[in-house]
Amino acid sequence: MEALTLTRIGIRLLALGILLTGVQPAFGIPAFARKNGLPCSACHEAWPMLNNFGQTFKDNGYQLGNGHDAPIYQEPAYWPIMFRINTSWHRESNNRRAEDTIPGNASSGQVERAVTTSGFDLSSLDIVTAGTLSKNISFFVQPFINSGSSSVAQAWARLDDLGGSRWLNLKMGKFELDELISQERILTLSDTGGSYFNYFFTPLGDNNVFEGIGATQLGVELSGHSENDYRRYSVSVLGSNNGQTGLPSNSSYDVYTNLNQAFEVPHLGMQRVGVYGYFGQSPTYFQTSGGRPIPGTGTGNRSFYRVGAYGQWYVGKFDFQTFYMHGQDNVFLGNSVPANQPASLPLGAAAPTWNGGFVESHYDYNPRLILIGKYELIRMSQQANPGIRSNAGNLDAWTVGYRWYPIMNPRAGLAWVQEYGRVLNAGAAPLSGKDDSSSSFLMGFDFDF
Amino acid sequence: MRRKTTLTGSAALMLFLFCGYSWAQESHVGNLSGNEKRGRALYERYCIFCHGQYGDGRGESAPYLDPKPRDFTKAVFKCRSTPSGSLPLDSDLYDTISRGVHDSGMPSWKPLLRQERVDLIAYIKTFSSAFQEEKPGAPVEIPPEPPSSAESIQRGAQVFEKMNCWSCHGKDGRGHGPSASTLTDSKGYPITPFDFTSGSRFKCGETDRDMFRDLITGLDGTPMPSFASAMTTDQKWDVVHYLRSLSIHGTHKQLAPISQ
Amino acid sequence: MKSKFFFPLACALAGLALSMWGLAGWASPADTPLSVKGTVKFVGAAPKPSRIDMSQDPLCAKLHSTPATTEDVVVGGDGGLANVVIYVSDGLTSHDFQPPTQPAVLEQKGCQYNPHVLALQANQKLNVVNGDDTTHNIHPTPNNNREWNMTQPHGMPLEQTFAREEIAIPVKCNIHPWMKGYIAVFKHPYFAVTDKSGSFELKDLPPGAYTITAWQEKLGSQTQKITVSAGEAKTLDFAFKQ
Repeated sequence: MEALTLTRIGIRLLALGILLTGVQPAFGIPAFARKNGLPCSACHEAWPMLNNFGQTFKDNGYQLGNGHDAPIYQEPAYWPIMFRINTSWHRESNNRRAEDTIPGNASSGQVERAVTTSGFDLSSLDIVTAGTLSKNISFFVQPFINSGSSSVAQAWARLDDLGGSRWLNLKMGKFELDELISQERILTLSDTGGSYFNYFFTPLGDNNVFEGIGATQLGVELSGHSENDYRRYSVSVLGSNNGQTGLPSNSSYDVYTNLNQAFEVPHLGMQRVGVYGYFGQSPTYFQTSGGRPIPGTGTGNRSFYRVGAYGQWYVGKFDFQTFYMHGQDNVFLGNSVPANQPASLPLGAAAPTWNGGFVESHYDYNPRLILIGKYELIRMSQQANPGIRSNAGNLDAWTVGYRWYPIMNPRAGLAWVQEYGRVLNAGAAPLSGKDDSSSSFLMGFDFDF
Repeated sequence: MRRKTTLTGSAALMLFLFCGYSWAQESHVGNLSGNEKRGRALYERYCIFCHGQYGDGRGESAPYLDPKPRDFTKAVFKCRSTPSGSLPLDSDLYDTISRGVHDSGMPSWKPLLRQERVDLIAYIKTFSSAFQEEKPGAPVEIPPEPPSSAESIQRGAQVFEKMNCWSCHGKDGRGHGPSASTLTDSKGYPITPFDFTSGSRFKCGETDRDMFRDLITGLDGTPMPSFASAMTTDQKWDVVHYLRSLSIHGTHKQLAPISQ
Repeated sequence: MKSKFFFPLACALAGLALSMWGLAGWASPADTPLSVKGTVKFVGAAPKPSRIDMSQDPLCAKLHSTPATTEDVVVGGDGGLANVVIYVSDGLTSHDFQPPTQPAVLEQKGCQYNPHVLALQANQKLNVVNGDDTTHNIHPTPNNNREWNMTQPHGMPLEQTFAREEIAIPVKCNIHPWMKGYIAVFKHPYFAVTDKSGSFELKDLPPGAYTITAWQEKLGSQTQKITVSAGEAKTLDFAFKQ
């Protein structure tokens, strides 16, 4: 049975906080529709999810290649800016929340109780400006504004078609990793359904600063693609402080790569398969002064990786996205032990290892109605600490919902969303260590201009 | 009298056939066949906002586009391999959708599956009854290109002068000829002649063979006429070589053609 | 009981209807050509045509010792309005007309179209002639016919047809932007274009009640009804004003 310390609770809450605030709502970009006169449905299966035409447009550096891409062809009043926000009513429920036995009395001991809350809510506001600075130079800036705090979620510039070749594009800045099944363009919005858990998973007790492949990172990316985007590759070198700006935490770099190939299957549609890998190092401790860590002095780097494969499948009006991940963090990261204190490792400590994946299916009834169903799971195959129950941290989640777009034109977009989802976290109840389940129901408007 | 009864009789028969038999438009490109019903779903996803619900080029975005989107109800197309005044072949429409139209709002739709593009063509043909009433003309023959040379370019310059190409394209090929400011397309919108010095892509293909073909077919719906009988084959190749020589990229650089 | 008489009765009625319909076509004796003559006048002060500047093509300019003038409203000495298309727009009972074998001719002469307004029948051959020493392109922009655009250097033969009725198709030369003409295409042969004095004659009309329309490129259309019967000569006049 896991010994619960404040550290462990704190880490879990921190992880949850990062999860909820670090996950930005995804976007469709009406600024592109306004610039080119195309409707949202030309680039998006159902915004924000991209279809192949939209993915090609993105990979080309937001260029259609028809000679009118450079900003000089736009009217001076055109500004490549969009905003997006969701307004909703939602209901959240969790079956094992730690509460004081007597409300207001911190020393009355704690019990686990089910908690349900509901009400009207707003998502964080997405403001995005993106497009071309000139022919073959593209950019993307996304400030992140949520409840009064702000930061930069993404900011990058990209040199497209280096040497006239679409196989060489260089991006630099803070950016989302090259993923075709993208966290930034996820179709579901609720607390349980609004992220791919595999993209942000850290095992219980692990203090790896790396949040997951769903977080935006600082670095450079070299990428390329074939003319119709059927073949794509990318290689990125990233700083290993999880995209935080300011002093780098340590002097190591992470590498991420993604290779994929699409092909046509007669009578069915386009299919795509790909493999990816994230290989990095994270610090396990800092230099200190008076016992306090000095920012920028992360050291004791230890390695971790996330590798796997994915597929995008089209079968008539259905499409499926399948994803598999195999992840491992170093034993020191997994047990939150500084690398210069090997004696602090628990007996039998090991590198935490897990496998996970999801299947997300859609029924594209028409460009204005999409039905969604998703199932995700994560299974620990090796816990970091032998004292932890073998299934602690395992996760099962599913979401069903639909998005209906009453208007879809080259100026703005509006979607009516309804979704319901459940998450089961094995061994994650704060007091008893039992399984913790949460559910979300959300309905509301998702709109952008 | 007999003629009149035969006429009414056949008219009645035709009416019966026309009303009783519902016509599904099809298209054929290579070994793919397109179906208008699938094409319609694709049109409503990708095309409708520029080309309009009725295919008349009056979609919601159209007022803000220059040049205007094609009006399919007229069945007049710039990029063909058939003579001036003729309908295009299915493969001509396929090539235009795949290549896009440079310097316009029409993107290259290569990221769409080949089958999807062929389906779209089947639906586009339903916007004009011309596709049911007439057949496209025979595609033009393009003989092998002789190599370019200084003499060929010189001869081409003389043909350019004699054929009055300069009245629109200008003596230097920059597109500022004396008639250029008066030019309108067949919808009445102002249109500018191509600037051969820019070295940019042509609307109907990038290779010398495409230029040769454009000289024969003309670009219907625009002031660019057909020179089918006005020039000999050799003269046409000479003009192609001359026009290439005007490009700022230097003599005879061809842009890499977009693969299908 | 009814069925016994139905078929022969139906046949008799059908036969009667057909013969009446057929007889109507035979009513006019072929040896009495009927024609409608008339004049189209312009009422009021004739608008002054503008001069055309042909200097952009010296080969055109030198064909005119005095500058050519615009031809959108051409009024003759006694007020006659030229280039008005007169045609039967309603009342024809027969609808099957073969186009004449004689081609219609449109000439590019002095870098202007001659005639300025040409009328011909659907599927009648049109010969386009370039007698000028410069290259023209001939570009009709129809609404109801196939659009084509052909370059024609001096002397190159060019023959086209128009398949459907259209009144009237504007014709232009993109090389010489002042060149404007019209081609009116008819299904039937009962049309005429007024000459310089504004006179016209519609020939060989079968007897009947007709609507006659006069169309002028700038001043619009006017209609009049007329009844033509054997042994009567009819005149019809139109008057246009600004």
